[in-house]
Amino acid sequence: MKSKDKALPCLYVTKGSFLVHLFKDAWHRAKKYRFAYLFVLPTALGMLLLHLSPIVQGIYMSFLRLNQYTINQYLGAPFVWFDNYYNLLINPNSPIRLGLFEAARNTFIYTLFVTIGTLSLGLLVALMVNRQFRGKGMIRTLFLFPWVVPTYVTGLLWGFMWQRGVGIINIMLVDILHILPSKPFWLIGHNTIWAIIIPTIWRYWPFSMLLLLAGLQSIPEELYEAADIDGASPWRKFWTITFPLLQPVWAILIIFGLIYNVYSFNIVIMMFGFGAGFPGEWGDLMMTNIFRNSFMQWNFGMGAASSVILMTTMFILVNVWFYFFRKAEERRS
Amino acid sequence: MAMSYYTKKRIRDYLIHFIMLAFLVITLFPIGWMVFTSLKENNDILVGKIPFGTAHNDCMKMELTPTHLWVMSSDGGINKIDRKDFKIEAYESERTSSTSFVTDKDYVWVGSANRVLTRVEKNNLKEHEDFDLPLGAFDQAKVVATSVIRDIKNDRLWYTMQYRGYEGLIEFDTKDLKVVKAYDLANRFSPFQIKCIARVGEYIWVGTDKRLFKFSPETGEMKNNYDIAAYLPQGPVQMDPMGDKLILSGMTGAHIFDTEKGVVTRTLLKDRAQTVLPAKDAIYVGTNVGYERFPLAGNGVTRVENLFFSVNARGDIEKDNGYVPAEVSAMAVDGPTVFAGSSYGRITKYNAALGRVENSAEAHKGHRVVSWVNYVDMWHNVDFGLYLRNSFFICLLSMIFSMVFATMAAYAISRFDFPGNRTFSMTILLTQMVPYLMFLIPIYSMYVKFYEITGIPLKGTFFGIIFMYSIFFIPFSIWILRGFFAAIPYELEEAARIDGCSPWQVFWHIVLPLAVPGIIATGVYVFLTAWDELLFAWVLTSADTMTIPVGIRNFVGNYQNRFDLIMAASTVATLPVMVLFFMLQRYIVKGLTAGAVKG
Repeated sequence: MKSKDKALPCLYVTKGSFLVHLFKDAWHRAKKYRFAYLFVLPTALGMLLLHLSPIVQGIYMSFLRLNQYTINQYLGAPFVWFDNYYNLLINPNSPIRLGLFEAARNTFIYTLFVTIGTLSLGLLVALMVNRQFRGKGMIRTLFLFPWVVPTYVTGLLWGFMWQRGVGIINIMLVDILHILPSKPFWLIGHNTIWAIIIPTIWRYWPFSMLLLLAGLQSIPEELYEAADIDGASPWRKFWTITFPLLQPVWAILIIFGLIYNVYSFNIVIMMFGFGAGFPGEWGDLMMTNIFRNSFMQWNFGMGAASSVILMTTMFILVNVWFYFFRKAEERRS
Repeated sequence: MAMSYYTKKRIRDYLIHFIMLAFLVITLFPIGWMVFTSLKENNDILVGKIPFGTAHNDCMKMELTPTHLWVMSSDGGINKIDRKDFKIEAYESERTSSTSFVTDKDYVWVGSANRVLTRVEKNNLKEHEDFDLPLGAFDQAKVVATSVIRDIKNDRLWYTMQYRGYEGLIEFDTKDLKVVKAYDLANRFSPFQIKCIARVGEYIWVGTDKRLFKFSPETGEMKNNYDIAAYLPQGPVQMDPMGDKLILSGMTGAHIFDTEKGVVTRTLLKDRAQTVLPAKDAIYVGTNVGYERFPLAGNGVTRVENLFFSVNARGDIEKDNGYVPAEVSAMAVDGPTVFAGSSYGRITKYNAALGRVENSAEAHKGHRVVSWVNYVDMWHNVDFGLYLRNSFFICLLSMIFSMVFATMAAYAISRFDFPGNRTFSMTILLTQMVPYLMFLIPIYSMYVKFYEITGIPLKGTFFGIIFMYSIFFIPFSIWILRGFFAAIPYELEEAARIDGCSPWQVFWHIVLPLAVPGIIATGVYVFLTAWDELLFAWVLTSADTMTIPVGIRNFVGNYQNRFDLIMAASTVATLPVMVLFFMLQRYIVKGLTAGAVKG
């Protein structure tokens, strides 16, 4: 059990070598925690099989020339060292390099806007819902509905709504509200990036609202009462009480958003060409790019190499986040 | 005067409330739009028509009385139009499909596929009565047309319909309001499709896609048959008696048929004849662009075009665009005045002597059509029932397995400071940072290799996909559940230990019951995520084990422009999870906030 005393110091005298001693010590401790090990065992085995071993294989694959000719040999495919990485990052004649650059740029813009959008919208609505009025629970539930819509449906639905001629968005903007003079293309060209950012925000902001609302409710009321006595404006109350105290929540949400959005796939793949097309140079994300390289052009080595690059980048980003999060935690306590 | 603090606060509160509700409407709009679109007709979607479509109100029959013009339209609409000011005086829609009309002095008889036979009183259109005819079982949606004729002599009505496999004729008494007899027309030319019927003298003439039959109701047998394929290869669409002659009209022309000799004596038109009206001194034939008048004596043919207002892409009549050629599908003639009706309920009053349109009107718009049939179509076109079953099965089992293992592991991690605890927890977090595409190819290859070595298939089986999902949702579940276990007071367990409980008993009897809300919340979350998963299901399932996202993706690729079906499929995919969420939302909201915020 979790106890205050640290691991038992090995005071008992043992005969035999240092190795035997170490083994006996480990055995002793394992016996003490055998219940815990038993509980962790299935998960650990499963993850070893379906998480760790694929990661190792994937990293190894990124050094292989694994395409439609060599896929039968799988890990026996020709070992080409850093060829894939060279073609992805440096080789100016490689078309995949340009595609990867565009996808990375789009993913960056996409993640940035979606994270900011979901957080700010979520906070705004959480503040509005966090008041006393009739039907509070019902309205909160209704606000959560987009979050339950499956992402592939989100892609299909918004893909239909963005249609140039028959989509409701163009009909609204041009025919009914007369905001724009003519109907723009949303799924071709520069507008594509907005056509994928907005549905994603729509799908994910209720989740931020949910967590931020929980955070808001955990802020003690006395703080606001004290601020009221001091005559603070609502604006000031928000920036000096609400926002800082919500910091752990939005820190969590940022890391959630980072992971979810960088690996976003369903919405984009279903929106363009209904699951078969090329999203265009302003709609292609890292995941769709890798998927196309791997499964449509049968270039698995290249796909694995870009996955490794993406994984490394994410690893660094998450560590940076962790560093700041820790620092903030320490400062608070 | 300055407003008081409380007035200001109240105004601000109302304003915030209003903004919130407006935002709620905008947020829910896409979901509503999806359901709304799934109930519209695809043609309406493709022309950008926003409200539900209306039933087609194409003019089908016109009848003149000294004071009124009766216009019957294809949605079962009956318009009573004043002849002087050309305004609709009375209107009633019978909401029928495959409609045909016949009138007598007091009643309008409506033959249709969905209501079979209806009698409507002319003086009071609200007064209607349905009659059931012995037609056997048939699919209303597949009836091409119905045909009703009246026998003036002995108050009889004859009903038949164009339907694959139906070769019957029903005699109905309009006085006693009951079926006299149902005849079976099947003969050596069967199977044929009945197109229309007409009565000349003692005989009923039955036009089919093969032959023209002369049927005697008295003996109940076929008297004769005539081959008119040289004139109308697909059979006549309409037959109008004129004395002892019969005017056959159809897709390829209009011809006068002599019933005595059994031959075609004169060809009027060699184009699509929309309608035929035998009048006193001439025969009027409605064509695709107007009408043609064939005098009974002499050869001079009069062609008239540009009778109707134009119609825009959305099916609305545009009056300021002037008169354009359009088909004439119904006609009535009174001296030099010709009344003509066209599609979209356009009606016109044409003065043939002066050669100009004197007045125009519109038949009443058809009733709104909510096409539930989209769902039926979608269900028939793809094996959606199978996908739903598969998805439920896979998601449910994955949820159960992953929850069992995740609960155990989360408990162990949060309660026992065993060596390797930190490493294990960190590994769990780190696996979340790996792009899941990276797992896909190795797992796929491992499944294939496993099959090659042992002969046990994993790819394309339920076991393979459930195994994969179960393992994949464990890390996230552990992460959320850890918060729950941490929130359970440790003193409880200590007390149980002192009372002599084994670790297993502590877990089973003390900790688990307290963690149930959290487990439900996490389980539902896992279910939703599994329901949402496209990529692995795409690669690892086969035709028998396909889940909804994969099924929808395949289906959508084949029906790119059928937005009605796509939206119907989307609605069906969304509905189960939405209902599940609505039922369990209390748990989910509480569980996810508690777990994630604390974790």
